Amino acid sequence: MFEKAIVVKHLKKIYNSNKVEAVKDVSFDVDQGEIFGFLGPNGAGKSTTIKTLIGLLNPTQGEIFINGLDALKNRNEVRMMIGYSSQALSVDDKLTAYENIYLQGEFYHLNKLEIEKRSKEILTMFELWEKRNDLVESFSGGMMKRLDLAEALIHQPKILFLDEPTLGLDIQTRHTIWEYIRQLRSEYQMTIFLTTHYLEEADELCDRVAIIDHGQILVIDKPSVLKSQIGGDIITMVFQNSQPEIQSFLKKLEGLKQIKNINSLPNGVYQITVKTKGDELIPQLFHQAEKNKINIESVRLKRPTLDDVYLFYTGETIRDTEGSAEGTRGQRMNMAKLRR
Amino acid sequence: MLNLFFDTYYVASRELKKYFRQKARIVVSFIQPLVWLVLMGNTMSRLTSTGNGSQLFGTSNYLSFMTPGIILMTVMMTSIFSGISIVWDRRIGFLDKLLAAPIKRGAIPFGKMLASAVQGLIQASIIIVIALLLGVRFQTGILGVLLIFLIGAMIAFVFGGISLALASKITTMENLQAIINMLTMPLIFSSSAMFPIQAMPHWLQIIARLNPLTYAVNIMRNLVISGWQTNIIYNILILLVIDFIVMLLVNRVFEKAVSE
Repeated sequence: MFEKAIVVKHLKKIYNSNKVEAVKDVSFDVDQGEIFGFLGPNGAGKSTTIKTLIGLLNPTQGEIFINGLDALKNRNEVRMMIGYSSQALSVDDKLTAYENIYLQGEFYHLNKLEIEKRSKEILTMFELWEKRNDLVESFSGGMMKRLDLAEALIHQPKILFLDEPTLGLDIQTRHTIWEYIRQLRSEYQMTIFLTTHYLEEADELCDRVAIIDHGQILVIDKPSVLKSQIGGDIITMVFQNSQPEIQSFLKKLEGLKQIKNINSLPNGVYQITVKTKGDELIPQLFHQAEKNKINIESVRLKRPTLDDVYLFYTGETIRDTEGSAEGTRGQRMNMAKLRR
Repeated sequence: MLNLFFDTYYVASRELKKYFRQKARIVVSFIQPLVWLVLMGNTMSRLTSTGNGSQLFGTSNYLSFMTPGIILMTVMMTSIFSGISIVWDRRIGFLDKLLAAPIKRGAIPFGKMLASAVQGLIQASIIIVIALLLGVRFQTGILGVLLIFLIGAMIAFVFGGISLALASKITTMENLQAIINMLTMPLIFSSSAMFPIQAMPHWLQIIARLNPLTYAVNIMRNLVISGWQTNIIYNILILLVIDFIVMLLVNRVFEKAVSE
């Protein structure tokens, strides 16, 4: 397949109910087998975009192509190609895990044999097969999330849409979920589109990240490129030598082409801003120090995080915006389930 | 069309699985009709013991008069809350999951209506058993009893539908519950479930004729008290038309509510 997995052109969504322009003019595309992340604060338009892509909302304007198919004209074909897991734990806790996934198979019009075969495969992968006959209400938040992800895979979708896949999960469960997401890509060549407001999640998982705020994409690129754009690595060093020795040594260092500048901080700490890769400069620094008989007491490398990138583009930290009363209630309930 | 049929069945099967799992709820839902039949049946039995009374009620056995009313009241009171499940599904995100699947939109409310019809059928059958034990005799025999089941299911279908149409629009649990509570009493007392329609003031008679419960009560009362009559067919037809109109209405309201 040579088509892009997802192509979105000038997507715009104004809600009929309250006339809020949640998505202004969003265009992007996602390659086959890519993990693509939408990163932004609450209320930035992430969920609206994802819901429009999977057909839960109708766009006010714009075009969406899923695997080359016009998603607005071929809703049902597209629904069979994609899987969706919402940010809520949308499993029925009065049913067993198996009943939940079986029902999902029926909703996708699979036959009995297919459902049985697939459910066993997926529930085993998500380590829920042993618990398949337990009522979901006895599950922990992490298990419910795993079941929810498993259900999204029953019809072998080509593209998986995950809305805040690890929202509210503890750090251990979060890592497990990341592992599953990577596994889906490597074993099934699945394309994954996810939204998140966790910076480390985007950094850890995504091949490319789009930073979205106020319904607009501010930038799209690989996390590493985004990080290097806003400034190089920083190396901080402390030396054991006398002041004049250090000064003459630093003079020599300034001649190195990878170094942008050197600042002197209080307490004898020196801050070296590196143009590109700090980790590759450190051996050189040691080499130079040895040649000049300089003793290094400590060295530390700090790389810019996606946090810094995020701050740079949105101009603020992750914020909370007000939602609807019903939405808030749903979220609170979700949180209560997760904390069990 | 075939898909709509299957999707409706899948949605209904989910609701019914959950219904049968809640044993306590099923048992409790029969305590109220039992109390009605035993207490009301005893205290009100004098209403029909006079000549005038038995003429007005059509029978000298008050319980025979009350049984259809109790069946319909129980069925209506349960089915009219079936909209709550959509509010719940919306809150836990299950509704989005249903809508993301390639199922027919209408199957979601229809499935819930079907489930509520099956529940209505079960409730009707248990109340009939209680009534038989209390000495009520059914003039039309086993066939009439089967028809009573069916009418119970049809009424559950109607009120399930009305409730779901309301729930498509009203998205908060508290508001929906308040509105439903407000509806139940007037619905019961503006039908002939408790009192014969002839005993009502004129204005109430007009309202009663707009109430689906009235038609269901009329059929059931014929089946219990007076035996096979041609107006049973007429009443069933009206009920079928109401069922159909409610289906169209729910389909439209729900479809509109979920297509933002």
